[in-house]
Amino acid sequence: MNKKLLSRIAWYGLIALIIIPFLFPLFWIVSSSFKTQSQIVASPPLWVFRPTLENYKGVFMDQNFGIYLMNSSIIAIGSTLLSLLIGIPAAYAISRYKMQTLGVFILIARLMPGISFLIPWFILFSKIRLIDTYTALIASHMLVGLPLIVWIMINYFDGLPRELEESALIDGCTLQGAFVRVYLPISGPGILTATTLSFLFSWNNFMFSLVLSAQRTKTLPIAIYNFVSYAEVNWGSVMAAAVVIIAPAIVLTMVFQRYVIKGLTMGAVKG
Amino acid sequence: MLRTKQNRWRTGLGLAMLLAVALLVNLPVSQAENVTLRFVAANHPFYDVIKPLLPEFEKQTGIKVRAENYEENQLTPKLTVEFTSNASTIDVFMTRPLQEGKLFSRNKWYEPLNRYINDRKKTPARWGWSDFPKSAVQAVTHQGSIGAVPIVTEWQVVFYRKDLFQQAKLKAPKTLEELEAAAAKLNNPAGEFYGIVSRGQRGAAVTQFSSYLYNFGGDFIKDGKCVIDSPEAVKAFKYYGKLLKNYGPPGVTNMSWPQAQALFASGKVAMWTDASVLIAGLLDEKSKVADKIGVALFPAGPAGNHPFMIVPWSLAIPAQSRNKEAAWKFVQWAASKEIAKKAQLAGLTMARNSVWTDKEVLAKIQPDLALTAKQTGPIATPYDRPLMTAVVEARDIIGDVIVKAIETGGNADIESLAKAAAKGVDALLDKAGEGK
Amino acid sequence: MNINRFVERNLRWIFPLPAATFIILMLVFPVLYTFYVSLTNWDMISSGAVSFVGLDNYLAMLKEPRFYNAIGLTFYFTLLAVGLETVFGVIIALILNREFRGKNLVKFILLLPLVATPVAIGLSWTLFYEPTIGLANYALKLLGIPGLKWLASNATVIPSLALVDIWQWTPMISLIVLAGLAGLPQDPYEAAIVDGARPLQVVRHITLPLLRPTILIAVALRSIDALKTFDIIYVMTSGGPGFASETLNIYAYSLSFGYFRFGAASASLVALFAIVLGCCVILLKMRKSQEL
Repeated sequence: MNKKLLSRIAWYGLIALIIIPFLFPLFWIVSSSFKTQSQIVASPPLWVFRPTLENYKGVFMDQNFGIYLMNSSIIAIGSTLLSLLIGIPAAYAISRYKMQTLGVFILIARLMPGISFLIPWFILFSKIRLIDTYTALIASHMLVGLPLIVWIMINYFDGLPRELEESALIDGCTLQGAFVRVYLPISGPGILTATTLSFLFSWNNFMFSLVLSAQRTKTLPIAIYNFVSYAEVNWGSVMAAAVVIIAPAIVLTMVFQRYVIKGLTMGAVKG
Repeated sequence: MLRTKQNRWRTGLGLAMLLAVALLVNLPVSQAENVTLRFVAANHPFYDVIKPLLPEFEKQTGIKVRAENYEENQLTPKLTVEFTSNASTIDVFMTRPLQEGKLFSRNKWYEPLNRYINDRKKTPARWGWSDFPKSAVQAVTHQGSIGAVPIVTEWQVVFYRKDLFQQAKLKAPKTLEELEAAAAKLNNPAGEFYGIVSRGQRGAAVTQFSSYLYNFGGDFIKDGKCVIDSPEAVKAFKYYGKLLKNYGPPGVTNMSWPQAQALFASGKVAMWTDASVLIAGLLDEKSKVADKIGVALFPAGPAGNHPFMIVPWSLAIPAQSRNKEAAWKFVQWAASKEIAKKAQLAGLTMARNSVWTDKEVLAKIQPDLALTAKQTGPIATPYDRPLMTAVVEARDIIGDVIVKAIETGGNADIESLAKAAAKGVDALLDKAGEGK
Repeated sequence: MNINRFVERNLRWIFPLPAATFIILMLVFPVLYTFYVSLTNWDMISSGAVSFVGLDNYLAMLKEPRFYNAIGLTFYFTLLAVGLETVFGVIIALILNREFRGKNLVKFILLLPLVATPVAIGLSWTLFYEPTIGLANYALKLLGIPGLKWLASNATVIPSLALVDIWQWTPMISLIVLAGLAGLPQDPYEAAIVDGARPLQVVRHITLPLLRPTILIAVALRSIDALKTFDIIYVMTSGGPGFASETLNIYAYSLSFGYFRFGAASASLVALFAIVLGCCVILLKMRKSQEL
């Protein structure tokens, strides 16, 4: 009995050893966001302190993070929905007709370094006066979301039995009818995986917004970067801003944990 | 039937006349009223000053202002790419004459302001173009065309801790030797306190290194050739490297002014050589040393004393703007005597002669700071970086030598590093057709 | 009805059409344009007009020390980061590969670094690394080790950046390997246990060889991203001190949006793309040969 307890303690000790390094920096960000500048700079570091909400007040009241939060949401949701709209049918066709060339073609988007699009994009979007519009940002973020969605959905559709389509056709459905009425309803898990990942990637995107957005469409990652030089290294506010950016991603992950893991690991395991 | 028809006709005519009158009367006014200016600013104390005053301007003129601000390394790319595309919607922007001036005026991106300034209808005499110092006007003028209106001015100074200097029975350094001696004396790394800080970050360091360079007798460019490899320049590199390596804080090679300012304001260094305008951040409520700050003239070197004094920022209207008249009203307002005074009272150093004689300002301004302005003026070098189109890349090339000098405490083979850097800068000069 | 028939008959190309059109507009054109620009002398500093210069940009690039510096640093960063991520990631996965209470919570915690916004993470780590007030040096002092300069010294800047990448991405390798472990066949294990093999031997001789394809794919995915790392480096050092952390991506960004030498920038981007593609092909080849 004692031995069993001991081995259990050892086991959970080992687990703690694994997770603490991953958890600690996040813990430190959160706790620093409730500290004053002098508490942050204190040496040795303060573990117990009186939390202040000043940093958050500054972030939302003086720095308008509410607006950027909104911008980030609009762009992430918009790019994800549009990517789903055009990505799912594409994935279905690629899976059903085994169009591998097209699949690989779309995958190239993942290999390309992001800046290689930026000069042409900027020129194009400037010419048609779309700089600093949601349209331009959503379109650019879709280039990250779309390939992701297509690949996840190809994988998913590949795993569904073809017989479903046949029986639907016998019932008098058209091919597209079978897709809408039979395949889509059972694709929930795949779509959820694709949606969560596409949203997260857009939420975290920095480089595209750095060049394509200005004041009206500034997203959170740009806001925090810009804010750093502005605040003359006001660490408390930077940490509060970091929490504001990271928290939604974490909440989303908490809710859809299973799907996030599936999406991140799918390509590798199935190949 | 008839009556209604007639009525209709009458009403119609009446409306049309009303409309015509309204149009005639309102045209000039409504044009101004409906304008929204897009103002692109830098993250700079000047923007902090005018941002809360914008509603005042909007009320006065009926012109709306949409302001946006960027970190300075992000601002130039934003402007350049937007102007290149020929589809810019910017109406007013903050610009650095020494940094972007050549590039922007070569591409004709600045709206020439001569005709606005010289037109008494557009610009009342009391606004006072003659109130701007001659050197400042020169800095924003390219081949007779005024590209921008100067707003701030700055010069290299030494910020130092009066209390510590007094304790150690030191006086503000008058020469670079004294500077080094004071840094050595006050340096206490074990107690996490350092003798001196100055910029060490690649590109950013170049401007602050410039005064050291001049005082050793060096320069950036002479007769279309980069002379950063002259024996005098090499001495300056070595001195700067040794100074910061031995008596500077760890991590100085990643420091630009925000980091250096934060260190000084939190009381971790005894001296800081940087631009005068940065005093604003040392005097605000976050600073721990606000009441202990001394400002001294930059110390002389073997070749005398020639610290820089420049116009770092000015306001310009893009040639592509569609609202130039309204934009000029805004520039006039933002660069007016009244705003300059407000900014000066907030701790900035403005490019207008009148603010330096204003009694209210003189009563409030740091006396040391005003003194260094007076002392620096006659001996100043009017630039703090190589004057060329490809200045960003040139700063990176020269900055790398500074970083290597700091890393090795001046003991690296600076001669050959500087030679290579000079070659790199020469190539850039040739490319732009500015070399010889 | 007719429309329905039409759609049905042409489903094959109607369904992928919007996506393909989008990719062509947003990806293919820009890439071709970038390639075209790489053959011109377009920049904002020269006085002359833009003209076609053939391979001049590439030749100039091959003479540029900063380019080699950037290539070296890109590989140094990638090898260091992905190498350690793989080692730690596989070890963690092997440990976690059993049922226990709270496994889901552990997985959730592992996911956190993965989904946290890199820019925010980069800025926060800058504070940890701050030589005078940062936690990193405080921790070293507790251990009796003198403080390091972390991001501010040539020698430590790349390892410091790699550490952030390792913190963020080790969990990804762990999760992939865990998923791979769940799909492994059971028979070889049973045979080995019957033969009386010790756990470590089982791992070495059975688990790892079986996992090889999965690990290789995980490494390939990570390498593609690590070679292109931008956010954390840009935010934390912008390539400094000096050029000591200027990877190819950062160098290309400087050329494009710092110096406005679009021709030279495009050439370096083509080089970066070739490198990413090359690494990808090599890793996939390795995987294929494993399977044969």
